[in-house]
Amino acid sequence: MSANVPPAARPVITGLGVLSACGPGPGPLAAAVTHGRTGFTEVRRFDATGRRTRRAALLPDPLPLGVAVAGVIADACRQAGLDDVPGASDHPDPHPVAQDGAASPDGTPMPLLLALHSDLRTTEVAARVAESVAGRWGVPGVTRVYTGACVAAGTAVADAAALIASGRHARVLVAAGHLVEPGVFAAFDAGRALARDGELRPFSAGRSGTLLGDAAVAVVVEAEQSAERRGAPVLARLAGWGRSGDAYHVCRPVPDGEGLARAVGSALARAGVDPAEVGYVNANGTGSPLADRAEALALRRVFGRHLEQLPVSSSKSVHGHALEASALLELAVTVGALRDGLLPVNAGWLGPDPDLGLDLVLDGPRETATRYALSLNSAFGGANTALLVAAR
Amino acid sequence: MSRLHILAEGRWPGPEALDDSGRAAAPALPPLPGFAASSFSPLVAETAERCLRAHFGPADAPDRPPSRTALLLASGGGDRATARAIDAAAASGRRVPPLLFFQSNPNAVLGLVAARWKLTGPVVAVSPPGSVPGEVPPDALELAALLLSDGDADQVLVIAAEQADETAPPEGAEQPGPAARPGPPRPDEQPHPGGRSWPAAPPPHGDTAVALLVTLA
Repeated sequence: MSANVPPAARPVITGLGVLSACGPGPGPLAAAVTHGRTGFTEVRRFDATGRRTRRAALLPDPLPLGVAVAGVIADACRQAGLDDVPGASDHPDPHPVAQDGAASPDGTPMPLLLALHSDLRTTEVAARVAESVAGRWGVPGVTRVYTGACVAAGTAVADAAALIASGRHARVLVAAGHLVEPGVFAAFDAGRALARDGELRPFSAGRSGTLLGDAAVAVVVEAEQSAERRGAPVLARLAGWGRSGDAYHVCRPVPDGEGLARAVGSALARAGVDPAEVGYVNANGTGSPLADRAEALALRRVFGRHLEQLPVSSSKSVHGHALEASALLELAVTVGALRDGLLPVNAGWLGPDPDLGLDLVLDGPRETATRYALSLNSAFGGANTALLVAAR
Repeated sequence: MSRLHILAEGRWPGPEALDDSGRAAAPALPPLPGFAASSFSPLVAETAERCLRAHFGPADAPDRPPSRTALLLASGGGDRATARAIDAAAASGRRVPPLLFFQSNPNAVLGLVAARWKLTGPVVAVSPPGSVPGEVPPDALELAALLLSDGDADQVLVIAAEQADETAPPEGAEQPGPAARPGPPRPDEQPHPGGRSWPAAPPPHGDTAVALLVTLA
């Protein structure tokens, strides 16, 4: 639950850069999810012939991860109009305080919160990103690296929003990246987490697991007043955010969804939004038999009878599971859905799971005029994040 | 930054690592079921438990209610032994040991600690650069303060863990063949017979962690 203190500022999103298997930029991603055109293909990037599952959502010509992340950061900052801030786009400023009055009260520069997988390459990738962006747009380098699995980016966004809302910073950059690589693919295959039939079917009868996906995503989170003052585009508002833990298991969600429900409750309470005002949920929906059921029960706990008329889908069914980058990729999808008024399709559907009782978005494009949408993520260790996005 | 109050502390190795002469002994981490491939998760779990016992008493105390305690794991190096085991198994083309699936990720052991102690706050993992073994990185304390002031937790268990030995092959993991073996050469591969020798299977040593249970002052 949020502290009962009025926020110093309202966090909004002013820039978004995305690269996914659906193509470069938010346009191809939005087109793919609203029509349910999945991006899965046979893995040929490495030898996957010995694995039970051999499909993933892959970039056709992947860049090195650090380069891909640096690229989407540049896209996000360009959209946010930060290239137009005098002196902010080229070289390190010895006094990196934004010149538009958007610097935080103590004059600190724009932090970069980066979500990456924890492995032997984490430090190298973070260094590559830092080398590419340090000194541009007031970014000092990589401020913090989040490695908390599938909620890594969701936690980073929540923390960015908290930094804005508390008045500590006027702008925070959040970025994340994940490329499908042989080690994680093999581990997920060994853990029987990947879909046996090569299709990601969230909340569907016959679902058998997830499929991995490439993604690099970045967003500029900014204080609303700061964005308005400098005439920056406001893509959406982060109305609420919540983080919670299940206290249940190393890798399984608590079966009744209580932990995720608490994260959603925290996000709604922080925003002062009634559950009935929420008009779309981009669910975590990994395609896991157990996790999808727990998530459906979490939604039932929060929304009660409103769930019967609440459109739900998991855009992972189109762009794959981008692990540490998944929450940021799905936030990008959710922002796009509110801006375009078109909901993402829950692809891979075979038929109803009678235990779930969700109003799934099965055909598209499906129009919406809702003002609020949730983007949910859960991870190993029972970690949950909920991001409540408001249309502008 | 908001000021923090330290409620309890736990360390690995602790005072038992010193014998009567004050020299460092070689403590063995208690085994952690399901986490056999690397000393990293046992290190995190044992250090967290020491801190939590100091504050809450025994883990199995009856009727202890859940607490809104967040878990924040900070490790600059992460679980390198498990990462190497996964990379090596994948490169060999052989089947990866299934337990490495959840061990591949620093959140998993936090879930175990959270379940045992009924800790329902956020579960967070970060990789601070330049971490000093045995010290909590300043950024981890800053993040703990942010989580507390933002209202999703009443306490934060901050665990800073560094796995010092990068050369130890993972216990219980399938061993890669010589061509796929990462790390230093084996003794029979030493280019200079009189040079530095590498034990074939050095025991894990030098793992260091500290845990602090903090709240807002």
